Amino acid sequence: MAGSEKPHAKGKVASGDVTQRVGVEAIEARGVDADQLVEKLIDAAGAEFTTYYYYTILRMYLAGEEDYKEICEDARLEDRAHFELIAPRIFELGGTIPYDIRTFVDRAGCPDAYLPGTGDASGDGASRDVVVADATPAAILEVLLEAERCAIRTWSEICDLTFGKDPRTYDMAARILNEEVEHEAWFIELLSKERDGVARPSGHFRRGEPGDAPYSKNRGFYNP
Amino acid sequence: MGRPAPAHRVEFELPDGRTRAVRVREDEHVLGAARRAGLVLPSLCEQGWDLACAVRVLQGELDHGDARRYYAEDERAGFALICTAKARSDLRLCTHQAAAMRRHRDARELPAPRGT
Repeated sequence: MAGSEKPHAKGKVASGDVTQRVGVEAIEARGVDADQLVEKLIDAAGAEFTTYYYYTILRMYLAGEEDYKEICEDARLEDRAHFELIAPRIFELGGTIPYDIRTFVDRAGCPDAYLPGTGDASGDGASRDVVVADATPAAILEVLLEAERCAIRTWSEICDLTFGKDPRTYDMAARILNEEVEHEAWFIELLSKERDGVARPSGHFRRGEPGDAPYSKNRGFYNP
Repeated sequence: MGRPAPAHRVEFELPDGRTRAVRVREDEHVLGAARRAGLVLPSLCEQGWDLACAVRVLQGELDHGDARRYYAEDERAGFALICTAKARSDLRLCTHQAAAMRRHRDARELPAPRGT
């Protein structure tokens, strides 16, 4: 009967074949190199994960700067939320995060956000006083700012790669990018005032609760 | 006002066979100078960490001190990350070497992102 054909009911993936994914086939048909995308997502997940880890230290050393500490905590928890958002998408696309965490952090797409004075782990053997002296609020805010900038570049690239081709990854990347742009604006505002005495407002300031993640968590599309 | 930093001629060999030369001051990063001259080259982290901006150094010397992760083995093999490298002489650079630099890192069991 004319009109009874359902063009989306069948494709290259055979019925019952669980070794192939139509969700991957569909984005490849639209021009996405799914293998390359998975590699980029793993690099990006590694960067979010290491940032979360290092921000834990940076936040601690903002001792006495309670306003900075609060903002750093928002960014820290939101970066963790980003990792939580990316990991399922990697598996959905047929990939996996590395089985060894050392492999994972080594391939992170952005630099380690070391506490100033501890770069390249050299601070592990330094006296605590030396470390604290280098870790001024301005120095810490600069580390935070540059980490956010690397994240913006990363997620902008993934948005470019997936726009109009892979709406699910694009949606995820755009949510994360929204928050990274906000984080950059926060740290510009704080660093500019702390270091230069110049007001460069972010245009926004506080979350409802620490690590609120209004784009990447509160409207999540999966249930972790 | 201080004197301007010395500058060097940096010639880029591009994948399509064309070459493009730009002037790069010693106090600026090579990628930034290329970009200012209108040359679009790949980059991602812009902190001398990932390999997106990798080049092969065909001639000349660079200062890699601003890179966040760059190994002596990279320099010996003739690779540079131009987002954070500074010219110390006239240079000839072959661009778009991320995949080659990643193979080099893999062969020496040195860390590298996989997606660039």
